[in-house]
Amino acid sequence: MDITTTLQDGVSVVGVAGSLDSTTAPRAQDGILPLIASGCRLVLDLSRCDYVSSAGLRVLLMIAKQLAAKNGQWAIAGLSNEIKDVMEMTGFASFFATFGTVAEALAAVKKTCP
Amino acid sequence: MLRIDTHPTHQYKGFDIRVGKPLPFGATLVPGGVNFSVYSSHARSCELVLFKKHEPQPYAWIPFPDEFRIGNVFTMVVFDLDYENIEYGFRMEGPFDPREGHRFDKAKILMDPYAKAIGGRDVWGTEPDWTNVYPHRARVLLDDFDWEDDHPLEIPIEDLIIYEMHVRGFTRHPSSGIKHPGTFAGIREKIPYLNGLGVNGIELMPIHEFDEFENSRLSPATGQRLMNYWGYSNVGFFAPKAGFAATGKFGMQADELKNLIKELHKNGMELILDVVFNHTAEGNENGPTISYRGIDNKTYYMLTPDGYYYNFTGCGNTLNCNNPIVRNMILDCLRYWATDYHVDGFRFDLASILGRDQNGAPMHSPPLLETLAFDPILGKCKLIAEAWDAGGLYQVGSFPSWGRWAEWNGKFRDDVRKFLKGDPGLVGAMMQRLQGSPDLYQWQKRGTRASVNFITAHDGFTLMDLVSYNGKHNEANGENNGDGANDNDSWNCGGEGPSADPAVNRLRLKQIKNAVTMLLVSQGTPMILAGDEMGKTQGGNNNAYCQDNETSWLDWRLLDKNAELHDYFKSIIHFRKAHPALRSCHHFGSNASPNGYPDISWHGTEAWSCDASPESRALAFLLNGENVKGGTANDSFIYVALNMHWEMRGFRLPQLPEGLTWHVAANTDMPAPEDIFEPGEEKRIGDQSEFLVGPRSVVVLIGK
Repeated sequence: MDITTTLQDGVSVVGVAGSLDSTTAPRAQDGILPLIASGCRLVLDLSRCDYVSSAGLRVLLMIAKQLAAKNGQWAIAGLSNEIKDVMEMTGFASFFATFGTVAEALAAVKKTCP
Repeated sequence: MLRIDTHPTHQYKGFDIRVGKPLPFGATLVPGGVNFSVYSSHARSCELVLFKKHEPQPYAWIPFPDEFRIGNVFTMVVFDLDYENIEYGFRMEGPFDPREGHRFDKAKILMDPYAKAIGGRDVWGTEPDWTNVYPHRARVLLDDFDWEDDHPLEIPIEDLIIYEMHVRGFTRHPSSGIKHPGTFAGIREKIPYLNGLGVNGIELMPIHEFDEFENSRLSPATGQRLMNYWGYSNVGFFAPKAGFAATGKFGMQADELKNLIKELHKNGMELILDVVFNHTAEGNENGPTISYRGIDNKTYYMLTPDGYYYNFTGCGNTLNCNNPIVRNMILDCLRYWATDYHVDGFRFDLASILGRDQNGAPMHSPPLLETLAFDPILGKCKLIAEAWDAGGLYQVGSFPSWGRWAEWNGKFRDDVRKFLKGDPGLVGAMMQRLQGSPDLYQWQKRGTRASVNFITAHDGFTLMDLVSYNGKHNEANGENNGDGANDNDSWNCGGEGPSADPAVNRLRLKQIKNAVTMLLVSQGTPMILAGDEMGKTQGGNNNAYCQDNETSWLDWRLLDKNAELHDYFKSIIHFRKAHPALRSCHHFGSNASPNGYPDISWHGTEAWSCDASPESRALAFLLNGENVKGGTANDSFIYVALNMHWEMRGFRLPQLPEGLTWHVAANTDMPAPEDIFEPGEEKRIGDQSEFLVGPRSVVVLIGK
């Protein structure tokens, strides 16, 4: 798994490539948690992520909770249909705003937090 | 702050380990590692066996050092495990002495009895590798879940309308039109349907991990593959069946089931699990060794003095439920489902076994049943017993209850079926069944809450088959039609099986409406078999446990075909929910209300007089709507006339208080839409003194 972070229009765009599972989740968490500050804005780009395991979903939910606690805004972009479907069936989907592309996610994040 | 006891103390072949905690049993994530804990009274030593997920051979064997054993519990923390991608088992060394009850075999890799996720049958029906050294594999489960504000609903049991379904059968048929047929997610997709029907308690046939390939074979009659489709044969008690989850291939079956339960709760529906604690999938001495036999045979099973398996279940072995260790396992298990899955209640398969002692003798005050009745964590869970077993114990009405246990009322099923088909001599029995069977339950002051009323359940005919077949037709099960019950009390209405005769089909439709009306106007908790509301047929198969095919799967096209029936079910369910007088929690007394009417009164073709002689097939009752449900609610007067004679009968109506008049709520003799009226739209009748009730018909009136 690789993590890249770029700043686009004041929004951190974090790209995760590869698998998000129990072996990589701690690294993803370490990479993303420092970005979470009061009122922060974040887009998680999973378009190059091929698999999110049970542990991976939990890391995403934890990020969501921490962001909410700090009034941060975030969205997930580029989920594969399969991952999206798994999130739907296991109840995780209801905690995330998901968009097809990074551009759409960026627009949404900027809109909710001008 | 870091604890000082979370670091490794020992090393074994590259693994960092330390002594673990004996409780909780099973595999638990702890800081830096996994705590493994397993009990055996008779093993001399134990080894942890680790596999990489799906790999044929283990990659590590780690013996529990003797100093890690606490009492009879082997416990150890192993650090730095990739917990999501391993499978674990145990090997136990101990005596092989069947006469003494011991069957240890160091060669076998054994599943953890407390495994919370089990791999090996991840996708339903995928042919297993029969050479697998460890076919049912314990996995470490991430058991956290964000329930938000979810809480079990705690609907009073008399207000429940239970709907019994098979997870796979409910949506597996292509006509279900959903994304994930045959799964927990599939049921979730059908929540709007269930809501529309109006049921508020979903009872799932066994969902604990079982092996659908157990005893799988080809039917000599049809050539079709027969499976262990129902799953009344547990591999593990703590793990949901992976093959019932669309996400089972990713190991997320627990999350998928929890999400289903959370969504059901959001929609006002409880979830009840059918739990099978009477035996396991290991069978007798010729069966496979999966777990219990190899971990502590003598503890887990009831054994004869010669060390063979008692078979009170018809399934080869009998779980030793009143052994203190097994008893605790059952308690731990139920608490886990109540706590971690927010389950609302349990239906106990062949529950009378749970009241037998270690030699199989029925006990007066079985410790297990008492423990469950008084357990604080299960305090609000429904506990429903199938109050009989395959060893001849029949305890309907006498199941040890401590005022807590309800029972599947088998007498209700039998009497209503006989009355429905016009058998003589049933009026007296029906008077009991309609008012919550005080003859069975009043002596213990158990009230109507003791009685789960049903006419059909997974065992036996569907309701459509009950009115379409005189005898069972189980040839496809491959036992020369020798399996399944013979005492079905069914009647085919004039021709065996599907009929082209419109008169026969009309009568069948009416008989189903009669049956469901009797069920839903009876005091107690009604249970409907999934599919009966759309006329599901199994072609006369009354024991479809092995039929993973169109015989069992619910064909959703029936919704169109039998739309009238479905509408009737919806309306009669609505009727029950609208009338608290039908849902008393106490048996009726003889006290008259301020309005002068008894809470229940019995009538027949004459008002205030009921003919209960053998040839009578007519019966009516009147419920006084004043001060119902222990004085907490008011309702209209409800009058129900049952004419199971083949000729029309005039029923003289009891007089209502000044200012009230009789209105028809339901009349099964009429074709739709005159067969049933929504609350508030009941039709005032012209003749207020007598009502002509058609042949084999039920009429429901309300006085308002």
